This record gives sequence, C-alpha cells and structure tokens, in this order.
Amino acid sequence: MSTEFVRHFPIFAIMLYFLGAFLIVMLGKVRALRHGIAFVATAGPLALLIALVKPIMIDGGIIAYWMGNRVPAGGYAIGIALEVDALGLFFGLLIATAVFVSCLYSFRYMERDDNVPQYYTLFLMLAGGVMGLVLSGDLFNMFIMVEILTFAAVALTAFRNRANGALEAAFKYLVVGCMGSTCILAGTILLYAQARTLNFAQLSALIPGNLGTSTKLAFALLFIGFSTKAFIVPFHPLAADAHGAAPASISVLISGVLTKSGIYGLIRLTYFLFQTMELGTMQFWLVFLGSVSMFVCVTMALAQHDFKRLLAFHSISQIGYVLTAVGLATGLGVSAGLYHAMNHTLFKGLLFLAAGAVLHETGTTDLNRLGGLAKKMPHTTALFLIGAASISGIPPFNGFASKWMIYQAAYQKAAETGNIGFALVTIIALVTSTLTLASFVKVSQSVFFGRLPKEYEKVQEVPFGMRFAMGILALLCILTGLFPGLVTKYLTEPAARAVFSVGTYINSMMGEGTIILQNPVVNFAQAGVWSPINWLFLLIIALLAITIVAISGKYDRVREMNAEKPEGKYDLFFGGEESVYSQVGGEDLFWGFKHNWRHYFGFMHELHSGVVNDYALWAVVALALAIVYATIVL
Amino acid sequence: MSAILLDALRYLGYILIFPGFLFCFLTGLLLCGIDRKLVARMQKRVGPPILQPFYDFFKLCGKETIVPATVTSKTVFLLAPLVGLASLVVLQLFIPIFSFRAFGAVADVIVILYLLLIPAVSVIMGGSVTGSPYAGVGLSREMVTILACELPLVLVLLSVAKTVGNALDTGLCFSLTQIAAFQAKYGSLILRPSMIPAAIAFLLIIPGETGNHPFDAAEAETEICEGMLAEYSGAPLGVYKLNHAVKMLTMTSLFIALFFGGIGTGIEQLAAAMGLTGGAAGMVVILLDVLVMFLLCVLTTAVGISFVHAVTARLKIEQIFKYYWTVVSGLALISLVLSWYGF
Repeated sequence: MSTEFVRHFPIFAIMLYFLGAFLIVMLGKVRALRHGIAFVATAGPLALLIALVKPIMIDGGIIAYWMGNRVPAGGYAIGIALEVDALGLFFGLLIATAVFVSCLYSFRYMERDDNVPQYYTLFLMLAGGVMGLVLSGDLFNMFIMVEILTFAAVALTAFRNRANGALEAAFKYLVVGCMGSTCILAGTILLYAQARTLNFAQLSALIPGNLGTSTKLAFALLFIGFSTKAFIVPFHPLAADAHGAAPASISVLISGVLTKSGIYGLIRLTYFLFQTMELGTMQFWLVFLGSVSMFVCVTMALAQHDFKRLLAFHSISQIGYVLTAVGLATGLGVSAGLYHAMNHTLFKGLLFLAAGAVLHETGTTDLNRLGGLAKKMPHTTALFLIGAASISGIPPFNGFASKWMIYQAAYQKAAETGNIGFALVTIIALVTSTLTLASFVKVSQSVFFGRLPKEYEKVQEVPFGMRFAMGILALLCILTGLFPGLVTKYLTEPAARAVFSVGTYINSMMGEGTIILQNPVVNFAQAGVWSPINWLFLLIIALLAITIVAISGKYDRVREMNAEKPEGKYDLFFGGEESVYSQVGGEDLFWGFKHNWRHYFGFMHELHSGVVNDYALWAVVALALAIVYATIVL
Repeated sequence: MSAILLDALRYLGYILIFPGFLFCFLTGLLLCGIDRKLVARMQKRVGPPILQPFYDFFKLCGKETIVPATVTSKTVFLLAPLVGLASLVVLQLFIPIFSFRAFGAVADVIVILYLLLIPAVSVIMGGSVTGSPYAGVGLSREMVTILACELPLVLVLLSVAKTVGNALDTGLCFSLTQIAAFQAKYGSLILRPSMIPAAIAFLLIIPGETGNHPFDAAEAETEICEGMLAEYSGAPLGVYKLNHAVKMLTMTSLFIALFFGGIGTGIEQLAAAMGLTGGAAGMVVILLDVLVMFLLCVLTTAVGISFVHAVTARLKIEQIFKYYWTVVSGLALISLVLSWYGF
C-alpha cells in the first residue's frame, strides 16, 4: 500500500463510526440490517487501524492529515488536522478492539431491551467520539469529541432508565462530566487567546518557555478536565454509579475506552503541550494522584457488594497504576503504563462482560444474593477466572507482565533519583495488587463458587455470541501475558518513544525545521527477569507429570456423594446455624482485614455520601488545588 | 540433534527428579516429619516417627475420593491441589541451591513473590467450589493471612534488592541468580547488620506463609475443621498435605538462598581443598550443597516453625493481620530504610 493511500485511513476510521450511527437511525428498525451496519462500522475501523501498525509503529512514521488539504500557511495552522503518531495509534487500537468486542457482545445482550436502534446509535457516537479524540491533532476538535463522548456516555448510562438508580447515576455523571468539559473548553479558550492557534503541534512549539499566568491557569483547567474523563480520585464515585447502572457492554466502553481517553489527554497535556514532565514536581503530582487512586479505589472496591460497582472501583484503581507509571517519566515507566492501559482494556472488558452475563441470566449483580453459578455457567466462570487472574496479576496472565514492569520502573526510578518516595510507590502498588486479588477471590466465592441459591437453579449458560465476545478478550489476555517481549517491541515501546519525541511530532505537522528539539535517549532496560513462556512450559510439564502420577495412583477414583439430602442429621452446622444460613456474605468476607482498617473504612463510608452536590464540590476543590499547584510549580 | 535431546532429558530430570518433583516430595515430607517430631519433643511428648508424613500421604492416596454434591465445579475441585503442587515444584526450580541453579533466567524475586500466590490461590479456589461454610470462613482467613504476609514480604525483598544493587552499582537487583552470585563473592547477606531485621522478619513470615501455628487461623482444625480442606478426602487431601510440606521447603530454602548464600563459597573451597577436580568435584560440590542446604532448612524449620509452634497458641485472624502489618513490617522497614541509606 502506498503511503498516500494509507494517509486517509484515520479519517475513515472516525467517519465509519459516525456514518454507522446515522445509518442506524435511518435503517435500524430491521434487526439484521442494524446488526450488519453495527458490525461493519466497528470492524472497519479496527481493520483500518491494524493496517496502520506497519507504517506507524514499526517504520516510525507520523500521519499528518489536513482536512481539505489546508496545510499551514505562514507558519500558522488554520485548517483542521488529524495527527496520528504511535501514541495516538496505540490508544486508537485499544479503542477499536474494545468497541468491536463490545458490539459483538451487544447483539445478544441487548436483544431484550426496548429502543435497541437508539442504543447502537449512541454506542457508535461514543466510539466515534473517543476515536476522534485520540486521532485529532487539534485542541478544539478534542473538546468537541469530548462533548460528543460525554453526552453519548450519559445517555447510555441512563439507557436502562427503569432500572434502579440509572437516572440518578446519569445525572451525577452529567453534572460532573459537564464541569470537566467546561474546564477543557475554558482551557482551550485561554490557550487560543495566548497563542492564536488551536493546532496541537503548533501549541506545543509555542507554549513551553512562554508560560504566563493565564497559560498556567489553562494547564490546570485542562488537567482537571481530562482527569474527570479518566475518573481518577476525586472523581471516582461517578464511575462507580455509572458502571453500576449502564449495560455491561457500555461499562466496557466507559472503563476500557473513556478512561483511556482521559489518560491520553493527560499524556498529551503534560508530555506534549506543556512538556512539563522533566520537572520533579510534575512527576510527583502524577505519581501521587496515581498512587492515591490506586489505593483508595482498591479499598473502596473491597467494601462493595455489587459486582459491577466493585469492578468500577477496580477500574479506577488500575487507571491509577497507569497514571503512576506514566508519571515516572522514564522510558520503562511509560512503556509499562501503556502496556497496563492495554491490559486494563482487555481484562476489565472481559470482567464487565462476565458481570453482564451474570446479570443477563440472573437479573442481579448483588454479591450477597448470588452464588454457585459455576455449575450452571461453566464457560462464563472459566472466562471470568481468566479475567480475574489477569487483573490480580497472577502469572502468566497479562496483568502480571505489565504490573511487574511498573514495579521495576518505580523502583528503578527510586534508585536513580535516590528518592525513597518512589520505593513507597512500589510497595503501595504491590500491596494494591494483593488487595485486588482478595477482591476477586471475594467475587469468585460469592458469585461463581460457594452455594447455589434455590432461586437460581434454573439459570442457563449465556448464548454463544456473548461467550464468543468474552472468548476473544480472554484469548488476548493470555497472549499479551505470554509474549510480553513482542507486545513491548511492537506496541508499547514505539508508543513510549513517541511520547518522548515532541520535536518529531511538531516538525512532521508544521514542516521540517519548525523546532529543533533533540529527542531524549529512551531507556527500556529492565532490572528483573521474567520469561512467561519458559515458566509455562515448566509448569505444564510438571502438571502433566503430577497428573499422570496421580491418575495412575487412582486419583480419579471418585464417588460423588450427597451427604445432605436424606435427612437432617448429616447437615452441616456452623456457629450454631444451619449451613444455608451460615454462608459468609460477599460484603463481610474479609472481616479480619476490614476490622483492622475499620476507622479508615468508616471515614471512607462517610466521605462517599452519594450526593452529587458533594462530588461537584470535590471537583471544584480539585480545580482550585490544581490551579494553585500549577501557578506554583510551572 | 543428540545435544538437544540430551538437554531435554537434563531439563526433564530437573523437573521430575532433582530439584523438582521427587526431591520436593522427599525433602518436603521429611522436613514436615522432623517438624512434628521436634514440636512433640519440645512439648515433652514422644511424637510420631519422622516418616509419619510419608505413611499419612500413602494412606490418603489409598482412600476413596468423595466429591460432595454441593461442589459447583468438579474439575476445579480435583485440579486445584495438582496445580498448586505443580506451581510449587516449578517455583523450587528457580531457587538457587548455593552454586547450583537448575534454571537461572526465568524468574526474579518479584515473580517469586507472585508465584508464591498461586498455591494459595489454588487452595482457595478448591475450598471455594465446595460451597461449605467452613471453607468459606477458611478461605476468608487464608486470604487475609496472604494479605498480612504480603506487605512484610515485599519490604524484605525490596531491601534485599536494594542492598545487592548498592554493592553491584546498578542501584537495584531483582535477579535471584545475581543475588546468589553477589553473596558468593561478598559473603552472606546475614552478615550485614542492616539485613538482620529483614532476616528476622522473613523468619516470622515463614509460618504465616506455610499456615503453621500460631498463624493457622485459616485451617484451625479444632474450630473450622481445616477450613478449605473440610470437604476434601483421599488423594486430593493427600496432595494438599504434600503442598503444605513442599511449601515449608520452599520458604525455608528461599530464606537460606536470600540470607545465607555465602556458605556456598565455603563448600567450593572445601571441595578444592580435598583435591577434587573436573566432573567429580562438580558432583561432590552439588551433593554437599544440597546436604548443607537441607540441614540449614531443618535448622530454619526448627527455629522458625517448630519452636514458634511449640510455645504459642493460635492467634485470631485480626491479630495475625495486625501483627504482620505492625511488628514484622516494622522490622522489614528498618532494613529497607537502612539499605536505602547505604548501610
């Protein structure tokens, strides 16, 4: 393919989503047509972006695309531009994958709902919005895409508006989300007033070194704006409500795609627009926010008893990992952060889809009421376990590979700078990972294992279409975990290199020689060793050997026995209670942990009042703090 | 071609015989028997014969396996103990026995930290599928114990990584091979005053990780009928008992590898002094290494597991958590801070 031809792919990828959305409004009444359009509109962009991997990721090119061929004149960029570098393409690939899988899942998942055509319209608008955001080379277009995706996401959160709390969640999201969007708009206006341009590359060339007070204010506004999109602390309660209410396929997009767009915005803002990441204070700021999000949200998740709310808090916790790693501002750190962002999209998508499957069949996601579904839904259980193992960082799944890189990056940073604070970050990250594991042990115990309640005895496995979508993600989770070398070589390292090559970014957009910026040497060296394939190989041999020994020793000479049915005298009693009443509820499973942290949990409980006024107040306080911080340190 | 075949055979030998499956089986159960005997003698009982764990294991293997009707997934129920055992055996392959290492460049200390979770998670999953309330309580406590041990273990490993890294001028070092090489060159880590608190902390973590007294709230035979193992019988139960024994070996030998690695140099010098050369010297060194390693493991077990077992009563789960996150973590933190400032 000639490069001329390939240059048009990004705009086609964005257009296909929006085109699909409008076509479904017109023709979506017919089921087959609707599904066909949605499939093409989601598979097409994925294929187009995969075709871009070779020229951008491997050959290191950048696509600068001017709408209507309005190239910069006189050094000023007037036209609307798309700029796709390895970073943009990386996020684009994540988004396209998540959207595609979520769409496949929706076909069966949403069939019982009313107004399904509207669902697909909003779904594709959301997808197009995020895709436009990450491929855009223009700050104002980023704002427009943020608006589109925010409103589509709000509407989709409230899509099942008869469900308890859906409208409330959407309202909260609307209020705080709009505050975020307004911040982005205000920041954009301030920058335009200063620099007379909206083009990202030109802004990146003009702003650093010319920081006035209003530019610093713009930084704070944009920072808070993108933070609300990434739901990092203090915006995390919104995510929990939105995920709890939205259909599972939309939760996949909110956690796997929307939060990524926030992270993308933050990277563009700090590494490109203001180029502030060399400042120790800025690194501290991002790492601090990331670590707080990581830890606060994992503890919040431990206190949940709703499957999807629990996943929502974990989602923010994992975003905390990404932000921490990106904030380290080292080659390994950024590469690890992006790797984790990818893994997060995959395993969190899988987990949300599994939660959706449970909801689809049982009608509830309350951990205290569910149990024993492994007997009825064995495939969903297996897929869920893969997702759970990935997010908890059990080797050899993908979550481990990226977390392991993050630990190393943080500890290396600590060793290089001599700052013990970064060692603390490593410790928090490692403990958070174990807390994540605890949380998923809780889910597996109270949803899939444990005892099957009477009311769910007629539950069935979900349709094949839904399992297939989950299967794709599960397969990707395993593959990206087993081949970390390939993933880092072809995906995350080019993207991380792009993060550090601002000069190339500006010059490829505005013409060679606009700016002379040496790209720093990016170091991806790791201090540790981990080769999952060899380990897995050893494990399989050992497992085979042990199984053969076990079976030859009549391990499988098994008798199934029902010791309870005949009469009461064989029944289990626990703490004086019949076993039916003595199951430990999902909420209280880790009593021994929560007891020691009861003051913390009590504090958190009071803090998260669920009142939108409070959350809006938090946003205002966060903005005020960000403004103060930006004026002091920049 | 024959070279590849020979290599394959050698690796297979590593996995199946030494230091893999057979070695783990024999030494683990032996360690378990010694521990039981020691505890008995400390409590002025006669105690079982040292080979009792072997008799127990073979007896359990001869029994019928009963799967309760409440089990939600028979595959998980039967496979969980085997996966746990396999992952422990593989983990044992990465722990250097002084100068002898079966596999060097596969996993570092952080990976080991996570690989240690797999046996625990498999026992939790196995208990979880039974649907028994005893298992429910047991797994809850097991998970909290894991959480409790995790923080001090992380601190210990990071302080080791920093100390070794300081000396090697790389700033930090996670590789077990390099940690072993470092100790062979500069002497055991235990000889450094800054590492002594970390070593004590690790010694206190061992009974928590293996689920021994007084940190065995998760199994608590007298209270919750061994928790997650309540519904297990026959060969799977035997494999769980074996897992417990192997985990004792893994934790103690990891302790030796991290803190007493310098002893290996002495063994090599001894072999050299005996005037051995070539292949014979290599064999003798390995034999001596294994022997010394095993003796040190027995010593660690005696101090870290048996003695603690004999003099304490079982703690409640919230006490376990508090103890690890305050006392033991505090000790490890002292080492981390000291190693950070170059002591």
